[in-house]
Amino acid sequence: MAEEKKELEKKDVKRRDLEPVDEEKKQYIVVKIGDEQYGLDISYVDNIGRMQKITRVPKVQYHYIGIINLRGEVVPVMSIRRKMGLGDDVITNKSRIIILKMEEQGLVGVLVDEVREVIDLGESEIDRNVKASRKSDALFINGIGKNGNDLVSIFEVTAILDDVSAS
Amino acid sequence: MDVSQYLDIFIDESNEHIQALSDNIMILEKEPENKDTINEIFRAAHSLKGMAGTMGFKKMQHLTHDMENVFSEVRNDTVKVNSSLIDILFDCLDAIEAYVDTVKQTSNEGEEDNAALIQRLNDFLEGGGQVAAPAAAEGEAAPAEAAAAAPAEAEESSDNYKNLTLDEEDLGKLTHAAEGGSILYGFTAHINKDCLLKAARAFLVFKAVEDFGEILFYSPSAQDVEDEKFEFTFSFIVSTTSDLEPIQQAVAAVSEIETIECGKVNPEMYQHKTEAAPAPAAEAPATPAPAAKPAPAKAEKPAAKNNKKNANKPVTARTVRVDIEKLDALMNQVSELIIAKNSLVSISSSDGGSGDYDRQSFQEQIEYLERITTTLHESVMKVRMVPIENTVNKFPRMIRDLSRKLKKPMELVMTGEETELDRTVVDQIGDPLQHLLRNSADHGIEDPEKRSKSGKPENGTIFLNAFQEGNNVIIQVGDDGGGIDTDKVKAKAIERGLVSEEDAENLTQKEIVDFLFMPSFSMAKKVTDISGRGVGLDVVKSNIEALGGDVEVKTTLGQGSTFTIRLPLTLAIIQALMVDVRDEKYAIALASIMNIENIPVSDIKYVQAKEVIYLRGLVIPLIHLDDVLDCEPMEEKPEYLTVVIVKKGDNYAGLVVDNLIGQQEIVIKSLGKVIDNNKMISGATILGDGEVALILDANAMF
Repeated sequence: MAEEKKELEKKDVKRRDLEPVDEEKKQYIVVKIGDEQYGLDISYVDNIGRMQKITRVPKVQYHYIGIINLRGEVVPVMSIRRKMGLGDDVITNKSRIIILKMEEQGLVGVLVDEVREVIDLGESEIDRNVKASRKSDALFINGIGKNGNDLVSIFEVTAILDDVSAS
Repeated sequence: MDVSQYLDIFIDESNEHIQALSDNIMILEKEPENKDTINEIFRAAHSLKGMAGTMGFKKMQHLTHDMENVFSEVRNDTVKVNSSLIDILFDCLDAIEAYVDTVKQTSNEGEEDNAALIQRLNDFLEGGGQVAAPAAAEGEAAPAEAAAAAPAEAEESSDNYKNLTLDEEDLGKLTHAAEGGSILYGFTAHINKDCLLKAARAFLVFKAVEDFGEILFYSPSAQDVEDEKFEFTFSFIVSTTSDLEPIQQAVAAVSEIETIECGKVNPEMYQHKTEAAPAPAAEAPATPAPAAKPAPAKAEKPAAKNNKKNANKPVTARTVRVDIEKLDALMNQVSELIIAKNSLVSISSSDGGSGDYDRQSFQEQIEYLERITTTLHESVMKVRMVPIENTVNKFPRMIRDLSRKLKKPMELVMTGEETELDRTVVDQIGDPLQHLLRNSADHGIEDPEKRSKSGKPENGTIFLNAFQEGNNVIIQVGDDGGGIDTDKVKAKAIERGLVSEEDAENLTQKEIVDFLFMPSFSMAKKVTDISGRGVGLDVVKSNIEALGGDVEVKTTLGQGSTFTIRLPLTLAIIQALMVDVRDEKYAIALASIMNIENIPVSDIKYVQAKEVIYLRGLVIPLIHLDDVLDCEPMEEKPEYLTVVIVKKGDNYAGLVVDNLIGQQEIVIKSLGKVIDNNKMISGATILGDGEVALILDANAMF
C-alpha cells in the first residue's frame, strides 16, 4: 500500500517534470477606446458598471468628468480619452464605467467606449519594447499584447491615475 | 428566570441614572435649596436601587439604599446640603459606577461592599450634616467592616442543617412528625455564587422537595428566603415517608445549586443545640480578633480572582441607543421595500407567461426600489450616529473635582453636545478631550489672586464647543486663562536643542506652539498627578490624527488659549437647503443661510462694478452661482432672482440660484482624493433617487 503510493507520487513528479514550465499568466480586461483596444490588468478592477448619471464637478481637472454614486459611495469618474488627449467622450449604450480600486487613491471610475472580453496573457505574449508614436502612449502604455490577430495596448494603470496629462 | 438577558438594559439604564445623579448633584451644589433637583436625585437613586435589587446586586442595592436615605432626609429638610455631603455623594457615585463596571466585565457586582462609604453616609445622617474627617471615618469603618465580616463568617460555618437553631414550636413540630412515623431529613443547599436569582432557586428547591413531603423548618425563615435575605446557603428540614436519595436527586436537579448536604435528623439533635446556641453567640463579641483575622484574607482572595476575571472580555456587547424615530423610519422603509417587491411580483405574474412585461411600470418599480434601498442605507448609517453628549457630559463633574483639588474656582461651559458623530469616533474622542480640559484647568486657568490682579473674574471659564462646519465636526476646547507664553516655549525648545537660536527668531507663533505637540515636551514646572509629565499633547494629536482629524491651537498671552479639533466626517449629517442651478442640484448648509429673498432684477445696484443688493440696511454682494460653477448661461434673463443670503461672521453674500427644492437632511460624503478639491465644493451627498449632488461651502464664497 505504502509502496504503491510512493510509486504514484514518483510518477506524478515525473509527469510534472515533463510538462513545460507554466508561464504565469495575467488576466486583462480588453476595452475599446476610439478604434483601438486596450488591456487593463484585472487585479486593479473592482467592478464594471453601466453608464449612469455622472454629476459634473465644477473647476476640477479637465480629465475628471464628475462623480457617481456607486452603492452609496461617491466615486470620481475620469475620462481616459480626455486624459490621453483624444477629445471628448461619445456616450453610447456600450459605454461602461470601469471601477478601479487603487491602494493610494481608493475607488476611481474610468469611462471607456466598450468592454470586449477578458484575456489571459503571459509575459512572453507581451511586447514590452514599445516605440510610442504618440505622447499619450509613451505615458500610459507599457506594452503590446497579442490577442489572436488583434493587438492590445496594455495600460500602465498607476500612470493613468497620476496627475499628468497628455493634453 | 434568567436575568442575564436584562444585563445590557441594566447597564445602560444604570449609566443613565448615574449620569442623571451626577448632573443633578452638580446643580444641587450650586442651588442647595432646589427642590426639583432633590426630587430628581431621589427618583434616580430610587430607580437605581430598584434595578440593582431586581438583578440581585445586593451590595449595590445596599449602597444606593443608604444614599436614598440621605436624599430623603435632604428632601425633608432635616439635613442641609453642604460641600462635604456633595463629596460623599460623588464618592458614592464613583463606587456605583465601579459596581456597574464590574457587572459589565463579569456580570457580577464583585466583592467590594464599600462599608466605609456607607458608614460615612450614615455618620452624616446621624451627625445631622456634620461629617467626621474622611480619614477618621475610614478608620472607624475598618473595624466596622471587620465586625460585619465576622458574624457573616460565623454564620456561614454554622449554616448547616446539623447546627440549626430551632425554637420550641418548631421542635414540637419535628417531634410530632417523628412520632407520626415520618422520617426527618435535614438539607443544606449551597447556591452557585454567580447566581442572580437566589430566591427563585431556593423556591425551586422547596418545590422539588415538597413533592416528597412537608418542609417543617426553614433556615433562614421562608419569608427571608423569599426576600433573598440570605447568603449562598440555606437549610431546611423535611418530613417525609420517602427515601433520601430521590429527594437529593430532585434538589440537585435544580440549576445553579452547587452542592447539597443532607442526612437523617431527629428532634433530639436540636434539643441540645437550643441550649448550646446562646453560648457561642455571647462568645463572639468577646473575641472579635480571631474572627476578624480570616476576614481580610478572605476578602483579598476574591478580589484577586476578580482581577483575573476583569482581564476577560466584557460580557456585554457594545450597544448603540437609537432614537425611536430613526427606528420608525427604518421600519417604514422596510415596509416600503416589501411593497416594492410585491409590485414587482405582480408585474411579473400579470404578463401571463408571455415574458412580455409592461416595460414602463417595470422600470418605474425598479426606480422606486432603488430609491428605497438608498434611503434605507442612509437610515442605517444614521443609526450609527450618536450625539457627543454621552462622552462630554462627564466633564462638568471632572472640572468640579479639579477645581476643588487645584483650589482654583472654575466652571465648564459646554455647547453643541447634540452634535452627532459616528459611534466609533464618539468613543475615541473622550480621552483627548479630557486631556485638553485637564490642561486648561491645570495650566490655563490662573490662581484666583492672579486673575483678580489682571482684572479677570476670579471664576475661571473653560469651554467646550462642538458644531458642524461643512464636512467637519469641530470641537473647541479652551479657557480664559493665561494663554501660552510663546517666549518660554521658544526658550524651552532651544534648551532642548529642537531649534537653533537664530532659527527660533524667525518662527511664527504657530510654529512655536507646535512644539507643545512634540513627544515629552512639557512646560509644567512641577509634575502633578493632573498633568505635566509631557506625555499628553502629542498623544492627543496622534489620537485625533488617527481619527483622520487635526488639532490647532490659538493662544493669546494673558487671555487664554483655544484648541480646535477638526474631525473630517464622511458620515456627518447636516440640514441643507437643496437648490437648482440649471439642471444641476446643489446643497447649501442650512446653518450658514440667513434668509431667502426674491429680488427683482431692477433692484440690483452696482458698487465698484460689482452687483449688490441693498436689503434692510445691508449692502450684500451678489454671487451668480451659474457663473462660478461654470454652468451654461441662461437664454432668457428672468425678471426676478431667487437669492439665498448666506453669512460668515459679519459678512453677507447673496447666492443667485434658479430654483429652490427644499430642506433636506443630507449625509456628507467626501469627493475622494483624486479630484482637486476646489474650495467651493465641500463634499457630495447622495439624494433619495440615487443621484449625486454637490454641497456648496458658503464660507468659501466670500
